Amino acid sequence: MALAQISRRNFMQQSALWAAAFAGGGMAGMATAQAAREKELNILCWEGYNSAQVLDPFRSSRGATVKAESLTNDPTMINRLRAGETNIWDLINVNNPWARKIMLPEKLIKPLDRAKFEPFFNSMMPEFKAPYKWAMDDSGEQLIGIAQRFGPYSFVVNTDKVSRATAEDQGWNLWNDPANAGKYGILESDDWNVFCLCCIAGFDPFKVHNDEEVAKFTETAKRVFKGAKLVGDIATMNQALVAGEIDFHLTGGTYSASPARADGHPEIRGITPKSGPLAGGKGGIAWIEITSVVNNPQVSPLAEDFLAYVQAPDVAHTVAFAEGTYNPVTQMGNPECFKLFSKEQLDAIQWDSLAEEMARSAEYDIVPDYDKLLDIMTAAKREASGG
Amino acid sequence: MSPGFRNALPVMLFLLAGFAAPLIAVTWFSFMPPRTFAFTGTPTLENYETIFQSTSYISFLWSLALAALTVVLLALIAYPVAYGLVRVFGKWSMLATLLFTIPLFVSENIRLYGWVLFLIKNGVMLGTLKTYFGIQAESILFTLPAIVLGMVYVYLPFMLFPMTLGISMVPQDTRDAATDLGASRWQVFREVELPLSLPGIMIGCLLTFVLAVGAIAEAKVLGGQQIIPITHDIEIAFTYSQNWPLGAALSVLLMLVVGALVVLVLRRFDLDVLLGRR
Repeated sequence: MALAQISRRNFMQQSALWAAAFAGGGMAGMATAQAAREKELNILCWEGYNSAQVLDPFRSSRGATVKAESLTNDPTMINRLRAGETNIWDLINVNNPWARKIMLPEKLIKPLDRAKFEPFFNSMMPEFKAPYKWAMDDSGEQLIGIAQRFGPYSFVVNTDKVSRATAEDQGWNLWNDPANAGKYGILESDDWNVFCLCCIAGFDPFKVHNDEEVAKFTETAKRVFKGAKLVGDIATMNQALVAGEIDFHLTGGTYSASPARADGHPEIRGITPKSGPLAGGKGGIAWIEITSVVNNPQVSPLAEDFLAYVQAPDVAHTVAFAEGTYNPVTQMGNPECFKLFSKEQLDAIQWDSLAEEMARSAEYDIVPDYDKLLDIMTAAKREASGG
Repeated sequence: MSPGFRNALPVMLFLLAGFAAPLIAVTWFSFMPPRTFAFTGTPTLENYETIFQSTSYISFLWSLALAALTVVLLALIAYPVAYGLVRVFGKWSMLATLLFTIPLFVSENIRLYGWVLFLIKNGVMLGTLKTYFGIQAESILFTLPAIVLGMVYVYLPFMLFPMTLGISMVPQDTRDAATDLGASRWQVFREVELPLSLPGIMIGCLLTFVLAVGAIAEAKVLGGQQIIPITHDIEIAFTYSQNWPLGAALSVLLMLVVGALVVLVLRRFDLDVLLGRR
């Protein structure tokens, strides 16, 4: 029997051979993995781009392995790149200010071929025509990303309880009215909650704040969290609005309200206040996603390919209505893309008021003293605990 | 090198790499400067200072209090059920065990969202009461009782099964002997069954406490974050705050507090003695 012939000595020899073979095989595998970046793409993104509806056609047409990881806040994604993951990811999809103000200066992303990608902007909605500010570097020379999904994002009301007109007129003061304590929720979106609390406190979030403003912020954060009926995710907010547990909730807009609207609840509506403390007296805040190519030493050639792929009208429409949340896309400026949206879909993303809401919104920006304000808010939330 | 040591070496290395290394990494990270992402910074106590100067104690107290309350409630609820499974239900106890086990196959979050649908205003419970019986009641969702309900529900099997084992370890002969010697049913329970099933009860309590101190989903989903347990503070530090060293320091403190409590309990109740090995 073969087994009986294995002596202790030749067992060791055979083991060594096997080990060598495995090691060799492993290395051969690694070499293949490097070569296979031609057929491999890794995307770090907000949810939607990681959905099968968006990725599967790309996978099958390119015979590529596409991995996408979705996260729900920008700083986490940026810090993943800062922590050395630039050699993993090929594309990063975050909100507008990060590419231009942080990622390009820190060399976390690299510029795109302007001649190849700028024409895409020309078929977008008018406000995104090239050169589009957030897709360019500070000098206005380099194209650093592509814009697709966007939307106003301030707060959401159940219009059966608070009319749209009242909400738009009263704006952030809804949270300053003591009678509203216990009637509202707060979406667990801590970076945006910092912006909104600044607005409730009556000053622009996107600047350095003086001591007086920080004190006002502290007081506002304590009061607003104390009065909240609940804090939770988008599904919980929509459910609580529909069930009547709450009448409105902080931080929200098309992005968060659209799933409920698409599900037959048009009374759930994102609101952009008519006026507020933001630059130019604007009342709300809007986000625009910019997708950029990561400064990966071995970036996949599929990265730019994917950026071009999502521009096609049918794919852009799929991105707008990918699983999770539903959002307007810049490509709706292209009639070929726009005609793919049904009336119900346009209702879900509040197309009727989109233009005026965007006009009333300041664009999302970086809060210079974000860390300090976030710590204050986290403490306020904790101190409201059990109250 | 003794053969015993040599044979144990692979397992020891595995434990070192898989169990000790992450704990050491977290501990080391807790001494790194705030809001940094590398292991190479100059060690500092700043994160611990921040925690002791902050209101983090509120979260610690909530976590410990909720876990303690869960353990007490579960001990009271699970003991009769465990007793029934071992002594009363007979052939039905298999079915009952199965019913208690099946929910474990469903993700905790999904089960908790199920409770949300059940408890929410106009939901399964309140909606039914309103529609069919005309009873208007306030929902307990997003309140402390809802969190406790969720924790008791989620951790029930972890208390129940060690207890069942503990009770089943009490020999029938011992109970019979006690009865023959004239003990009343209460005396048999009080003086024979309860002490002899104590190992199961203790293991159940410890297991449930340690798991419940780490609970986060109940307070988030059923409690609407009305209470922020320490685990949630840790999560915020690692995500929105992007302050990994602070999160690591909070984790180390939690491990120390829970570790100290477990050691205290184990010193009071030596499991080996309880299990009759010594």
